[in-house]
Amino acid sequence: MLAASLFLYAQTLGLKDNPLVPIGPGYYPRIVLAITAVLALAVVLADLLSKKAASSAPGVKLNYAMVAAMFAVFGLYCGALPFIGFRIATFAYIAATNAMLDPPVSKGGYVRVLAVALVTTVIVYFAFERYLAVLLPRGRWTDF
Amino acid sequence: MAGHLELLGSGILGMLHLKYLVPLVIGSLIGVVGGALPGITITMTVIVVLPFTFGLEPLQGLAAMIGVYVGGETGGLITSCLLGIPGKPSAVATTFDGFPMARKGEPGRALWLGIWASILGGLLGAIVLVEATGPLAELALKFGPWEYFSLFILALSMVAGLVESSLVKGLLAGALGCVTTILGNDPVMGQPRLTLGISWLEGGVPFLPVLIGVFAFAQIMTDVERTGFSKTPDSLERALNLAVSHSKVLWDILSRPFLLLWSTFIGLVIGVLPAIGGSAANMLAYDQAKKFSSRPEKFGSGIPEGIIASESSNNANVAGSLVTIMAFGIPGDAVTAVMLGALTIHGIQSGPLFISQNAQLAYGMFAAYILAHPIVLIMLALGVRWVLRIVIVPKSILFPVVLVLCVVGAYALGNTMATVYVLLASGVLGYAMVKFGFPLAPFILGVILGDQIEINLVRSIMTDANLWLFLTRPISGVLLAASVLSIVGALWQHRRMQRKAAAATDAPDTDF
Repeated sequence: MLAASLFLYAQTLGLKDNPLVPIGPGYYPRIVLAITAVLALAVVLADLLSKKAASSAPGVKLNYAMVAAMFAVFGLYCGALPFIGFRIATFAYIAATNAMLDPPVSKGGYVRVLAVALVTTVIVYFAFERYLAVLLPRGRWTDF
Repeated sequence: MAGHLELLGSGILGMLHLKYLVPLVIGSLIGVVGGALPGITITMTVIVVLPFTFGLEPLQGLAAMIGVYVGGETGGLITSCLLGIPGKPSAVATTFDGFPMARKGEPGRALWLGIWASILGGLLGAIVLVEATGPLAELALKFGPWEYFSLFILALSMVAGLVESSLVKGLLAGALGCVTTILGNDPVMGQPRLTLGISWLEGGVPFLPVLIGVFAFAQIMTDVERTGFSKTPDSLERALNLAVSHSKVLWDILSRPFLLLWSTFIGLVIGVLPAIGGSAANMLAYDQAKKFSSRPEKFGSGIPEGIIASESSNNANVAGSLVTIMAFGIPGDAVTAVMLGALTIHGIQSGPLFISQNAQLAYGMFAAYILAHPIVLIMLALGVRWVLRIVIVPKSILFPVVLVLCVVGAYALGNTMATVYVLLASGVLGYAMVKFGFPLAPFILGVILGDQIEINLVRSIMTDANLWLFLTRPISGVLLAASVLSIVGALWQHRRMQRKAAAATDAPDTDF
């Protein structure tokens, strides 16, 4: 945050003033970025000076791999939307996420994963496209 | 005054038309269920409902959202009382006495004490909402750009100062929110700045996808990281006898008028303060009820006072939040921030002119708030057992569905993938902020108010370049002094808490 605010601050120095207003477009951003940089520095110093070691509560094991996988699949979904369209991408995304969070272990489990994905996709698509006049993304590759 | 009540009457009559009543009822139902679902906050529920409102008239959409808000605040107590799991942060204090009362064999009394206290607290809050919003908006109309600038600074400093973990992190989160508003064209002259070569950034960062992303991902991912999703709670399998004498329950509440009024007042005040929300209201009201009680030692053992204090305050908190957004255009919490977004999508500017320029809409909102309470009451009288059944929907199904609706909501804002990418980036940022201990409320307030702070700063300097005016104009000066005081007060509070914690660590452990 400190580096980003200093970088953006440097960028504001190149902004040209507008003759119509007494303060240019960089005036307010410079104030905000300066405050951000000072506060970020304060947080860094506070962390360095803090005697307490930052650690999560003992005994709580957090599954960061699952979080990373969830973000990755969501990122893939967002990336795929303009190429394969809302219906295919959403079906695949819901099936994948549902299977990740609650892995199917039997035939019934696989049926559940596919049914949830299909029902959700169909309901969301019809609710928005047909009844709420919200046009959902079409696939550049699939035209669907 | 007569005109004011006439408008309210016509607002209520209008809201009873099926066109508005149906979204209000559906919103209330979704709110009750969302509020009852542990791990699903009201903010997330209203985010899910948001895209469905795009195709509706503004009042229909707002009625649905107000239904979600009121329903959510009331629904949260169901699992708090019957399962001992708060459905939402603003029902945490309800658990302290609601669940022990249910375990002592009075689940119906615990539940209905909460429901009636919610309804009464909410309706008392409605009186303030209807009566205070107009005068406060009139007061705000007297504000010039100096006063608005100072008011927004006060809002940000208060929210940052109320953060429990770290004042500096709270302030930094608020500043970071303001940073997102400086990317793109400057809001006064439209001159491009800090676009970093990204073409779609020229229009600035839209705040709604940021809000949706930050809150939805922060909530969902912190749940996902806890391995293994909870199965149906054992207590749900037991047949619960929820039969109760409503007159006795009502007497339980009405025989404690000071408790009801004081808790409602606390809820209202917390609601009016920007971005604090019901989670603080119910804890503070519970704490106050305990301090004023003649039997404080009984709190936590299943007494009515604890339930009444918590539930009347969190519903009154909704009214307080609505006052702030309708009179000043400042969201009282994350839910009203989403409402602000919905208003913006429909081209409606909230703020002091909102009531005078959109009287029908404003009084329609009052009516929706008032009517949502009896609707929720009837709903719970008819189907509280069904709500308990719905609560067991696995999160492995719920989470992907919620995230898809977030994508739809973001995409529908401008029919462009750019807003979806903003959603994704905000999601990562929101989760990172939670993990590094940065509060979300000041960040969101910064995102919402950043533009307004700049606009009013530039306007004031364009009117008069003398910067001392911010201090010498009475209202502006008082507001800025209050900002400084709020930060000094927060610093003092943090130091005191640290000293207490240190003293507790040094004290000999007497438990052994």
